[in-house]
Parts: sequence; C-alpha cells; structure tokens
Amino acid sequence: MQRMITALVLGVTGIFVVSAGFALGQQMLKQYTLQTLAENDISVDQALTVAQGAINECKKDNSAITVAVVDHEGSVRFIVRGDGATPEMVDAARRKAYTARTFRQATSAWLERTALDAVDDKGKRIDLYGQRLLDNTIAEKGGVPVIWHGDAIGGVGVSGSKGGGEADEACAKAGVNAIADQLF
Amino acid sequence: MSRMSLMLNAAVAAGLLVAAGGAAQAQSSTITSEQAMAAMRAVQAYAKNDGSNPSIAVIDRDGNIVLELRGDNAAPHNIGLAERKAFTANKFKMKTIEWRDATKAGTPRADERNTPNAIPLGGGVPVMLGSDVIGAVGVSGTRGGQEGDTAGAQAGADAIMKTLKRLEARN
Repeated sequence: MQRMITALVLGVTGIFVVSAGFALGQQMLKQYTLQTLAENDISVDQALTVAQGAINECKKDNSAITVAVVDHEGSVRFIVRGDGATPEMVDAARRKAYTARTFRQATSAWLERTALDAVDDKGKRIDLYGQRLLDNTIAEKGGVPVIWHGDAIGGVGVSGSKGGGEADEACAKAGVNAIADQLF
Repeated sequence: MSRMSLMLNAAVAAGLLVAAGGAAQAQSSTITSEQAMAAMRAVQAYAKNDGSNPSIAVIDRDGNIVLELRGDNAAPHNIGLAERKAFTANKFKMKTIEWRDATKAGTPRADERNTPNAIPLGGGVPVMLGSDVIGAVGVSGTRGGQEGDTAGAQAGADAIMKTLKRLEARN
C-alpha cells in the first residue's frame, strides 16, 4: 500500500516536472522566435535566372549587356559584365538595380516622378528631384524591381544594350519575367 | 610528337608575327563573361559537395570585376573578401594561400602584405596563360576554410582553362 502511494506521488510529480519543462521549453522557443526577424530575399538561384533571362533577351540583337541583381537591402547579389564593357558599366547596372529596388518601381517611372517639372494627379508640383541626389541612385532607364507579395525583394539593372535605356529596361523586365511563376 | 609540337610552335609564332605585322596596337587577352560564368558554375558544383553557399568573384587581367555572386546566407564580409582574394592572386600571380605563406611576418617579402587591397588569405587562384595573368577567381565561404576556398577557386580557374584549351583545339 505504502509503496503504491509512493509510486503515485512520484508519478504525479513526474508529470508536473515534465509538463513544467515542456511549458518552459515552449516559452524559450517563443522568445527565440521573437528575437529574430525573418526577411524575404531574392535567392542566388532566382538572381541567376533573372540575369540569364535578361542576357537572353538582349542577345536577340547581339547586345553584350552588363547585368546586376541586388537583394532586398540593395546589396549586390550577382553581377556579370558584358564582353568589352567598361568597369563603369558595372556600377551603372548596379545603381539601376539599386534605384529600382529602393523606390520599388522601374527607373523609367522613377525618372518621371523625380523630374523637375513632375506633377501629381491634381497637377500640383511634387518636387522629388532630391531623390536623385541620394547615394547609389542613378537617373537612367534600365532598372526594374523584383516584387514578391508587394514586397521589393530585389532589383535588376541592365546597361550596355544596343537599343539604349529603353532596350535595357525591356531586357531587365524579361529577366524578372523569367521568375514570374515564383512571384505570385 | 616533338615534331608535332615544333610545327605547332612554328604555326603559333607565324600567327603572332602576322598579327604583329598587321596591327601596330598592343593586344592582350582577358576572360569573357561566358568564361566567368563557367568558373562560377564550377565553384558552385564544388560547393554542392560540401553543402556551402560561397561567394564568388571573377576579375579580368586588369583587376576589374567580370562576375560577382553573393551566396545565400553569406556573411557580410564574404563578397568583398572574394574580390580581394581574386585581386591578390592576379597581382602576385600565384594562389593567395601560397602568397600568404611566402609573406609571413619576419620574411623578406613580409612588406608585400601592405599592398592596398591585397589579402593574405587562401581562396584566390590566378588564371594563367603561359606566364601571363589573364584573370583570377576568388572564393569565400566554403566549409573547408582557406583550403576549401582554394579548392573551390581552383575548380573555377580550371573551368576557364578548359574553355581555353577547347578554343586552342578548334584553332
């Protein structure tokens, strides 16, 4: 009888200890999840697919382009310089990608918005020209953002195509389209 | 065999003479974007074996970037370091792991470590055409430390060399 009671007490205590431990573990896990911030970012695979898509599009008129893909913070994820391109082209492509990423729009649209005479819907001057003075931006066409669930997870910039800024942008767009199935 | 190679040498020399006679400008070789991509894929194939996501830089003979890739979940220093390793290998015409050992503190060459942008860490491998550097590959962030980074970069440099050999065969 005494032994049974001891076993019962031990068993109940055991259950308490285990459940308390479990609760503590859960609490710690919760705290751990709260301490880190998960951010969405363009992956290496995606960056390479985007770049290849842009290169293929621009190959149609034999343009050897320079392509840059930046991540959600605007840092370089991937760059490849076209044959015969100058080192300045690399920086131009990077800055196009950065500008598109940070302002979440194609640099062509951003160019219009930041023009000295740009106006809003009601015809009022918006005067965003100052954005062009920010570091790492560039007032040139050829940059397109990579948007996933309304979140700019990256940007792509193209320079050096034979057709100039408009063709640069078309190739950059073709690059983003290469991962369109992942950007639902 | 030796006659074959003699003939080959003669043909190459004749080709060089023709090129030199036909054009007054200086010419040099460098690596193409396609070769840089081939190097990147070789480094990635190497990295797949050790389960890492290294950052990669390929530079041309002038030390300018041809290709840069920042691996998934890379540490902030990785990409810049890959570039510096490639630069160092290009500049000193040797693997950076060997240059590191050749420039240890107290040795006659120790001062070379003061070269701006050079880095005494393994992971940079030059791409040589004879005694000419035509580019370099730098890798940072494999699992094998400096030896692993060196092996990865070597795989990249080898991939470029392979395309050169294929070109030679075609000519």
